[in-house]
Amino acid sequence: MREVISTGNELAAKASVDAGARFFGGYPITPSSEVMHSVSDLLPKVGGTAIQMEDEIAGISAALGASMAGTKSFTATSGPGISLKAEQIGLAFIAEIPLVIVNVMRGGPSTGLPTRVSQADIGQAQYPTHGDYASITLCAGSLTECYTQTVRAFNLAEKYMTPVFMLLDETIGHMHGKADLPDIEEIEASNVNREKFHGDPADYKPYKAEMNKPAVLNPMFEGYKYHITGLHHGDEGFPTEDAQQCEFNIERLVGKINTVHLENNGLDDLPDYEEVDLEDADICIIAYGSIALGAYEAVKKLRSEGIKAGLFRPIMLWPSPINRLEEIGKKFENRIMVTELNMGQYSKEIERVIKRNDFTTLLKANGRPIAPAEMVAKVKEMI
Amino acid sequence: MRHTLRFTGVGGQGVLLAGEIMAACKIKNGGFGLKTATYTSQVRGGATVVDITLDDNEIRYPYANEGEIDFMLSVADVSYHQFKSGVRPGNKIVVDPNLVHPTDEDRKTWEIIEIPIITIAKEEVGNVITQSVVALAITNTMTDVLPEESLIETMLSKVPTKVHEANKKAYALGKAYALDAMGTK
Repeated sequence: MREVISTGNELAAKASVDAGARFFGGYPITPSSEVMHSVSDLLPKVGGTAIQMEDEIAGISAALGASMAGTKSFTATSGPGISLKAEQIGLAFIAEIPLVIVNVMRGGPSTGLPTRVSQADIGQAQYPTHGDYASITLCAGSLTECYTQTVRAFNLAEKYMTPVFMLLDETIGHMHGKADLPDIEEIEASNVNREKFHGDPADYKPYKAEMNKPAVLNPMFEGYKYHITGLHHGDEGFPTEDAQQCEFNIERLVGKINTVHLENNGLDDLPDYEEVDLEDADICIIAYGSIALGAYEAVKKLRSEGIKAGLFRPIMLWPSPINRLEEIGKKFENRIMVTELNMGQYSKEIERVIKRNDFTTLLKANGRPIAPAEMVAKVKEMI
Repeated sequence: MRHTLRFTGVGGQGVLLAGEIMAACKIKNGGFGLKTATYTSQVRGGATVVDITLDDNEIRYPYANEGEIDFMLSVADVSYHQFKSGVRPGNKIVVDPNLVHPTDEDRKTWEIIEIPIITIAKEEVGNVITQSVVALAITNTMTDVLPEESLIETMLSKVPTKVHEANKKAYALGKAYALDAMGTK
């Protein structure tokens, strides 16, 4: 274990470098700017490059180019930046270019509340651009997770050949305190690198993947020629409008994430959620990101007053932990409280999964956090 | 035992750094410390509040609970009035009297202590930027939440070497003014 004193944004930057990222392309925006400040110091020291481009679109474009060349790459921004990057995120989905996109969430829509906390971009992370695809979205619930989940985001991006969203929020991004990080040797041993085709370049067909499997994209400039496009494409990447091919493409793009997640109960071996005191609980609080920090304290307070509360905290927001959520829905009829910093974006997912709306919500969208005392009061109303 | 402290000022005054030093010092001494800042989109001149939570046990929620703050120090009127309500009635609030103007009602609710923090930094230390260290010294002298030697060491590790002497002087002056205000000099 390594004990460090840092902020969430700095830890996300540190994690990126430790995960093997060697290129950052971005544009500063509150409350994510410290991610770029930090990698600007860190990347040159390991032979990497951090570049501030002329705008958000150029930032992600540079990062995508670097990733096509085989370098693990990322960008960091906040909600307004994701809106600007939307077109290139779509290219990353359809062309299957691995990329980590850190979003330190602030109040929206538009420029909204630049310096204030929000969790209103979780819907955007699920569907950031037009068309059909499936998003992988992780959400840090502690300073330590700003590091560990960012490492995980890189590994998932490489494994599934897709953009991965790493969500922080203003609170957790700027919070300054202690984090216990796994040893660097452990991180390096867990790092995933994208698959490569090693056969005759004449036989190379990067997009000829089986159903629910990712494309195998060799780095550019190594003798393996192929085409990358945002248009629907065939085995070698050249545009096609063949009906069967297009149908297969979309089913594979969605299936390589959603079907695989459902069938294997996850996309990797790491936990998709955390449970605290749920076993004997009468009330289940569902919270994620920085709001879960208050929820831990609310659970403690409620228990000290004899109310058996527990916490379910999703870490992977998309795809959501459907199997476990279904079980929780059955166990806690009328006794779930979902609390989040938006008008109910994850609450809608709970309703979709448990197929009921008999739960309580504690929502806030004014740029302020939700205090443990507010959660305690809301739970007491439920009893 | 949990201690919650609040610094308020305007952007650019360095209140963020003072909070960071206190949290880091607590962690170095085996405890838990968290600093959170709330500020406006004006980088300089906007109301800024820093909450510092220190505890021997793990802290999760990083913000101060309303009405439970043990101590506040303020160097700007706008943020003083905006964030004073979080302080536990009867507890100490240190203000710079040249910049912060508490109401008569405030003086009944809290123990308001006036120390000219900015003037001390500007005129006695000779460097206005050291105001955050003057504030740090006043806070720790009045609350006694952190071991002084370790706090000074942490502070020096966070400021450039060329201003070490100025900051040491700022700390000593802040401490002296605090002791004086508490009547124990």
